[in-house]
Amino acid sequence: MAIFRGGVHPDGCKQLTRGAPIGRLPAPPAVWLPLSQHIGAPALPVVAAGDRVLRGRLVAKKAEGLSANVYAPIAGTVKGVVRHITAGGKKQDHILIEGDGSDESVSLAPLASFTPEAVLARIEEAGIVGMGGAGFPTAAKLNVRGRVDTLVVNAAECEPYITCDERIMLEYTGELLQGIRLCMLACGAERAVIGIEKNKPEAIAHLARQCGEGISVKPLRTRYPQGAEKQLIYGCCGRTVPEGGLPADAGVVVVNVHTALAVQRAAVQNIPCYERVMTVSGGACARPGNFWVPNGTPLHAVADFCGGREDCARIVSGGPMMGEAVFSLKVCTSKTMSSLLFLEEGECRPRTASACIGCGRCVQACPMGLMPVFIDAAVLAKDYAAAKRFGAAQCIACGCCSYVCPAERYLTQSVRLGRKIVKERKL
Amino acid sequence: MAEIANFKVSAAPHQDSGASTRRIMLDVLIALLPCLVCGVLFFGLYSLLLVVLSCAACFASEQIFNLIRKKPLTFDLSALVTGVILGLNLPPRAPWYLPLIGGVFAIVIVKMLFGGLGKNFANPAATARVFLLLAYSTAMTQYIGADISGNMLSADLVTAPTYLGGGTAALSGSFLGVEGYWGNVLQMLFGYMGGSIGETCKLAVLAGGAYLIFRRVIDWRIPAVYLLTAAVMVLACYQSASEILLQLLSGGLLFGAVFMATDYATSPKWTYNRILYAVGLGVITVLIRRFGSYPEGTSLAILIMNLLVPVMDHYILPVRFGQLTKRGRPKPAVMVWCMRGLCIAMAAALLVGVPLVQYTEAPVRGGTYSYVSAVSRNLDGSYKFTVKGGAYIMDGYTQQLEFVVTLDGAGESVEDVEPVTQSTMGYTAELSFFEGQSYEDILARTDLGTDAETSATKTNTALRAMVLECFCWYDYNVAGYEEISYAGSENIVRAERRGDLYRFTVNGIADLVEYDYKQQLSYAVTVDAGTNTLLYITTLTESTFGYTLDKPVFLGKTEGEIAAMTEGDIQADITTGATVTNLSFQGLAQTCFDAARRLQGGE
Repeated sequence: MAIFRGGVHPDGCKQLTRGAPIGRLPAPPAVWLPLSQHIGAPALPVVAAGDRVLRGRLVAKKAEGLSANVYAPIAGTVKGVVRHITAGGKKQDHILIEGDGSDESVSLAPLASFTPEAVLARIEEAGIVGMGGAGFPTAAKLNVRGRVDTLVVNAAECEPYITCDERIMLEYTGELLQGIRLCMLACGAERAVIGIEKNKPEAIAHLARQCGEGISVKPLRTRYPQGAEKQLIYGCCGRTVPEGGLPADAGVVVVNVHTALAVQRAAVQNIPCYERVMTVSGGACARPGNFWVPNGTPLHAVADFCGGREDCARIVSGGPMMGEAVFSLKVCTSKTMSSLLFLEEGECRPRTASACIGCGRCVQACPMGLMPVFIDAAVLAKDYAAAKRFGAAQCIACGCCSYVCPAERYLTQSVRLGRKIVKERKL
Repeated sequence: MAEIANFKVSAAPHQDSGASTRRIMLDVLIALLPCLVCGVLFFGLYSLLLVVLSCAACFASEQIFNLIRKKPLTFDLSALVTGVILGLNLPPRAPWYLPLIGGVFAIVIVKMLFGGLGKNFANPAATARVFLLLAYSTAMTQYIGADISGNMLSADLVTAPTYLGGGTAALSGSFLGVEGYWGNVLQMLFGYMGGSIGETCKLAVLAGGAYLIFRRVIDWRIPAVYLLTAAVMVLACYQSASEILLQLLSGGLLFGAVFMATDYATSPKWTYNRILYAVGLGVITVLIRRFGSYPEGTSLAILIMNLLVPVMDHYILPVRFGQLTKRGRPKPAVMVWCMRGLCIAMAAALLVGVPLVQYTEAPVRGGTYSYVSAVSRNLDGSYKFTVKGGAYIMDGYTQQLEFVVTLDGAGESVEDVEPVTQSTMGYTAELSFFEGQSYEDILARTDLGTDAETSATKTNTALRAMVLECFCWYDYNVAGYEEISYAGSENIVRAERRGDLYRFTVNGIADLVEYDYKQQLSYAVTVDAGTNTLLYITTLTESTFGYTLDKPVFLGKTEGEIAAMTEGDIQADITTGATVTNLSFQGLAQTCFDAARRLQGGE
């Protein structure tokens, strides 16, 4: 078994929600639907204020180039395009839809034939993006026919707390496998490998029993960041994606479990992408669990339903290793927000950066083989050429270096800054 | 539902490993505790005072420096770690001001002036030790022996040599009932001997190291590769497998490997650079010990390698995940394979080399020797003898002698004689009498006088006896004989032959009439039936009070010469005074010649 170098082993904390069947968050009274829930250009609104929309109705159309369609997650009236804050802290255009309480919905037209072209077109039409967190439009990603032979399904779910993929594997097994076969068809891969960390034995056994010809299950060592794209490909196929290259350069394309499920929902059940399964967890969450959450749901609605407690010290969208701390509960969910964590004091120690003692733990922990300690020093000295020499441009921002640092230095931020400047200045 | 209002925003990652600088330093202090306890137990409370003074000097000088530079006071325990390590590096009876000077030097000069925690260019404790060694070389090299029962508060200076300074003579030869080589090893392991306060008890150092490795505070590769390299280097430089354990367990090597070489700021950050660094440490340490003018090289080796660390960190980088060469091919992990290969090669060299230079501690067959104290076999098959003994100079003064004699693999000639201990007043042995000479040459050389000024005749005579004994050892333990039967004499209990050579195990009695005591005698005697000469004698049983056979009187003599010896010829000198034994042997030798003639004639 190929094992990537470095990495860390954080406390998984998955027992909080791994046994919780996927429930459904009640439709919120209003949704702020971000026009940019993906990498690429924001979608263009196709509705006007006052329009009545049903659940599943297209409200924003993909722009030219890399972009994705956006669908209404609830039935109601469009109040217009408003500026609203996102999890990243910027103000962006959102479509505000006020719900009317009805459950009316429309679906996509059934597919006439299941050819690779038709499936790709449907993936594009349904507005599916990478749901593991990256948000890369899936149709563009899978459009690599002839260059890949293997589809790797990312079921590692290496971030602590998050269990939505695990629940999907257990509860939507048939749909998931169908979705994987549709993805294989779309990208022309001969085989699919589902990479699952060994801390999910139930899911491994369950999928291994049912996967059938052409699909195999690869149990992976439980080590963060096993689910990072390059590390996952290395673990599943033993192939190394060259620096600056794409997975296709190694003959591989990677999709997330939830993305594969979304493909099946769009192609077979004719449901476009307007909701997703989210894990709501953390020590300061009274009723943790996994829920179908309509896109655009304000986080305070999630907090109310799941009992986010008052003593909550930090709210994180995404996992605790790479997720962003939420600064306002007015922020809304999106296609890519896989979890919301209400962490208490003990779960997220505040950092106080002190002098580097040179222990080199960050160097041992870096899964990319970088030298965070020297990149940090170089960035602080504004010597970006040195930062590049020590590998700043290859950082995947996994957070391992900061995680292990006994001096609690902000290594990840330093290296990310170094990466940004190295790329901007084309050093 | 109450409002969630008190949450804070922070950068990812939101979890952390829980490690902190203070906790790491605390772990190091915990790991140093066994060394401190053993040091105080072995060397008394005065040594504890030295460690406390060193800690106080380190802590106070760091805070005073902070006050002067108007920086916040530091309580990260790192100054205490430096203080304890420096204190444990001092000789147990160092003057009280040494830890103070050393502590201030370590903290102010080495650490704070270069930017404080994590910015020091070299290990503060190692640098301070080297500084003290240069500035106070006498005080820094005066060690006392360990003494659990002694006065714990005594500050008396009764110097005792260490193994590195005085060889195995510094050890008691027997420890916890184990004799010889393994007794020495055991004694060094427990550290019940002279040395620096914290360095002697290797078990305590190992316990501390195991704790640090278990807590993942230090990288196990640094001490492991350091010890491995040092072992290979000892094997190569000393050509003796037995020396490996003695060298690894002596001086500050183990302590330095665990506590000083692993210092964060001054060791490389990348795993394989650490291996290279540890290899460098091992090489330099042994080179200094073997060829340098200082008996101990650990601190200097650490200091030298510390200075190379920034270069290694800058130029030798790990191969990144998916990194390509300029030609677009995957970049090979050259450094990784080189270091792995080096470690495997060193381990293989040990596995192959140790049996080749096997320490033949216990003679293969036995025998009692007056001079030969240790024998080892060198890589080229030659035998190295450590011979010790006294040369009687005049009444009340016996010059202690120690030489290392090397015989060729066939046991025919002397390759090399190296003096270890002999007269310092110029009465030194004339080595050319022996070096390169065959056994016959040495047997034939009876005139050992040199010119009047040096007049080392007595030393030469003693050395000749020693060299002859080395040849006898070889004959009895190594040379191949086949056993034959002989029933011609009841004194001869065993007969062996090898060509014209016959070796008899012959028993006899020295009748000490005046004391009404009959001393049992037993020798292995080799005679050459071709030339009728007596070649080798090995003692099996004789007086343990020093009334031993004066072998040079008989070795190399023909049957006729021995038969013609009068009592006056073979009367021993006053020191051994074993005249009766010598006389008995005259008869035994005759028995052997008879037997050899009869066996040779019977063919």
